[in-house]
This record gives sequence, structure tokens and C-alpha cells, in this order.
Amino acid sequence: MSTPFQELLDFDVATLADKLRAREISPVDVTEAYLGRIEQTDASLRAYITVTDTLARKAAKKAEAEIAAGKWRGPFHGIPIALKDLVYTKGIRTTGGSKILTDFKPDHDATVWTRLNRAGAVLLGKLNLHEFAYGITSSNPHHGIVRNPYALDRIPGGSSGGSAAAIVARSAAATIGTDTGGSIRIPAAFCGCVGMKPTWSRVSRYGVLPLAYTLDHVGPITRTVRDAAMMLQVIAGVDRNDSTSSRERVPDFAAGLERDISDVRVGVIRELNDGLSDDVARSFNTALETLRSLGATVDQVTIPSLPMAGVMNGIITWAEALEIHEEWMRTRPQDYGDDVRRILEIGMMTPATSYIRAQRARARTLSESIAVLSDHDVLVAPVSAIVAPKIGTTQILEASGDRVDVVAMILRFTQPFNTTGQPAIAIPTGLSPEGLPIAMQLIGRPFGEQEIIRVAAAYERARAALAPPPEIA
Amino acid sequence: MPMVTGETVKQVLRDLYGYEIADADAHSIANSAGAMLTLATHLGSIGIAGIEPPFGYPVLLAEATRSAKSRS
Repeated sequence: MSTPFQELLDFDVATLADKLRAREISPVDVTEAYLGRIEQTDASLRAYITVTDTLARKAAKKAEAEIAAGKWRGPFHGIPIALKDLVYTKGIRTTGGSKILTDFKPDHDATVWTRLNRAGAVLLGKLNLHEFAYGITSSNPHHGIVRNPYALDRIPGGSSGGSAAAIVARSAAATIGTDTGGSIRIPAAFCGCVGMKPTWSRVSRYGVLPLAYTLDHVGPITRTVRDAAMMLQVIAGVDRNDSTSSRERVPDFAAGLERDISDVRVGVIRELNDGLSDDVARSFNTALETLRSLGATVDQVTIPSLPMAGVMNGIITWAEALEIHEEWMRTRPQDYGDDVRRILEIGMMTPATSYIRAQRARARTLSESIAVLSDHDVLVAPVSAIVAPKIGTTQILEASGDRVDVVAMILRFTQPFNTTGQPAIAIPTGLSPEGLPIAMQLIGRPFGEQEIIRVAAAYERARAALAPPPEIA
Repeated sequence: MPMVTGETVKQVLRDLYGYEIADADAHSIANSAGAMLTLATHLGSIGIAGIEPPFGYPVLLAEATRSAKSRS
């Protein structure tokens, strides 16, 4: 029980769990260490909207008593976590990153929090995000601009910007994010941590404020692949409160973590291997070499309709998001930030025919992807064409002299796998020369989380450790 | 190719949603919506003949059952 607080922050969830179970460390000390770290960093980062310090201390004491009594609930017992602030927490305000819901306190918990709570996790608080999860900067006009721990003048990505920033700043041991067009993977990539978007329907969406019903995914953001597998284990599985949640068997996601990948066939998606910045291209190619050095077969594959998957995603999100926000757009348009209000206004121009056609077209891209995965085990692509841009940047000047929209340069890599609903995990591949994280994503067959976790874990072991971010004042 | 104008945007938003918008904003929305709707017309060309939309009856039935339980 004498481990210095600072050292407690260095442990990943797996290590914390071992030490907590063995009673080498105390949940109360771990929680205090994290609460202290939030106090130290969050004035700069703005990763949190609400810190639930009183509840966290109470939960930590309860966990300590239970573990001492031999009632260990599992690897999340006593682990300090935080939730994106669109995950309902009964009696605790859940803003959705908005002004409209600033004082909203749900009367029930989201299933994902019910399961983590039951597993003994300690809730540190609710994390900042892009307003209503509808954007990728997390520059929130109502609750503060979330900043990238590696460079405070850069965006952390979004919409789960607070969820990723908190992991890398070590102000939470594990967090929950959501991903409709890339909102778990993009912030994980820009901040330098692991982000896991499971197969659509693998994790219940009950009690999670929706952005687009048929594209929303809930998943973990963590320091390591193992932690992501462990957190997914807790939250995955059918839920009677979510009719769309899958009855597919939940496997042991960590089962293949230690296996080598010499029998694995990796397909590099041709349609997502162009337009990369030099730094991203270099890092991605080095990562492919690492996979080859581990014995994997790496070759190029093609998914011809994939470039249209972003169009499908955009149209579906426009329509579904507007249906959710229509009443507030009629009555409180001034309470939205400019960017979110504008995209909801664009949604008003979406014909039903386009929406239905986009929904139908999803199966085309998924069928092509499944066909490629009949003779490959996983697919791989960068998460973004660029590193985290500076806050406020909307366009980038390419070497060709063309001005390119930043959001488009990022989303085109991630949206397709929300459209197809396939599992995808973002994992850092290194730092750019200016010290900014870069990442790749591994994409699997529907319900093939185990395989992408296995490959990501093998890669993570082989990759050099990332230099930590500068100290945050 | 869909031709979306600022005037069209203003009228659709006003008539369908009771939502007023400035001229400059309407033109900006027209550009964004027009581009996306042009691409949407191309979705049919990727080979979607015979593909049903992914809205299944099991979900409809399950939602109805869940709704009935929550009301009782």
C-alpha cells in the first residue's frame, strides 16, 4: 500500500487489476492519484465536463472493502474510469457536450455503465466531446476546447476527444467513447492511444445519446490493446434494452493476445493508401514492415465501392441526426454551436430516397469487404491522412498547391467501417518528427474482434514504445 | 445532377421545418447539399440492384415488445 501516487498512474488496467487483486495497492490510493492528476491537468486539457470526485471516493472505499473481504468482481474492480458525456448516468448530469442538455440528469444508467459499475469500476467523471458527438475537433463552444496532450495547440480529434486526451494525460485508466464516423479511432490516433470500435450491435447503445442510430458504436479507449480487450469483455453482449444488440456469442477477447501472427494474412486497402502526408505514409509503411517481420503476409487488396462509403455515412448521419434534433432545431437553434447547427441545417435537405439508397448501398461495400476477408484475416489502413491539425484549422495546403478540407482528409479513412459495421481498432504506429502521434487501424470480419485484437497486440509488442507527451502544467 | 439553390434551401427549410435562414447561409447549405446529393445519385451505380434496406422485422417486433413491457 506504499506505492507512490505518481507510480500508480503509470500502470495500465491489466497491471492495476493484478495489483489490486493481490492487495499490493489500494483502490482508494489509485482513485486519489487519478483525482489529483485531473486537478493537475484539466485546466489545460479540458478533458472533463464533470468530475464525480465524491462518488469516486465512495466507490473506491467500497471496492477496497470488497476486495479485502475476498469479493473480487473481476479486472475492473477498483479501476478508475471515465465515460464520454453522452453515456447516461443516473442522477449525474449528462450534457452530450451541449448547452441544451447542460442540466440534464438521466433517470437511468446506460447499459455500458451498468456493466462497468457492476464490474466494480470507479467513475471519475464525464468526459468532454464534440457537441452532440457531431464533429471531429472536440472544440466545444459550451464546455471548453479539448486539447491534445502532445501539443496543446492541436485538436485531440473527436468526437471522443476528452476520452482519448484523458488516457494519454493519465487522468483516467480507461474510458468509453462512441464512434459514428470515426469518433473513437480518430481521437485515439491523434492522441496516441488505443481505440476500439467493435462490430455494430456488439455493445448495447441503450442509454447512449444517439447521433445516428444505424451507425453509432460504443467502445473502449485505452492505453494498451490488452486493456481494450478487457474493457470490451465487460461491456459486450446482448441487452434486452437494446433490440439491435447482437445475440452473437461473446468470445474471450484476450484469448489470442499472446499468439504470434505468422499465419496471418493482412490486406492493405488500396483505396485508403493514397493522399497520405509524408509522415503518415512513412509511419504506415514502417508498420507494414513490422507486420511482415512478425511473419504476417501483407499484400494489397481492393474494395471498389469503398470511396462511396463515406457518402453513405454522410447521408445517413444527416438524416438520422436531424430526426433526433429536429424539435430542438425548431425551438432552440441558437443554443447549438455554429458548426453543429450548420450540419443539421444541411440535413434538412436530405431526401428520403437518398437515405434509403444509402442504407441499401451499405451491403454492397460490406459484401466486397467480406469477399476480401475470405482470403485475408484482417485489413489495414491509416486512421487519417494527416497528424492532428492545429485548433481552428479547416483546410490544409497540399504540396500540389491544392487546398484540401481537413475533415474530409480525416473522415474518409474511418467512415467506411461505420458504414459496414465491421470492427476496427486504432493503434499508434509512432510519432511524427514534430512529435505528434500517428496510427493505423486494423479492420476485421463482422464479429471478428478477436482477430484484430490479436494482430494489434502482436504489433504493439514489436513496436517501439511511444515517447510520452510533454508534462502538462 | 441535382441543382440546389439558396432559394430552394430557404423554401424547403421554411415550408417543411418552419426554419428561417439568412441568404448567405442558404447558399452555403445549397453548395454542401448539392454536392452530396449529386454523389447520392451515383450510389445506384455501384451495383445495389436487389439489395434490401437493412431494416429487419425482428427489430421491429422486438421494439414493439419492449415498448409494450415498458408501458405495462
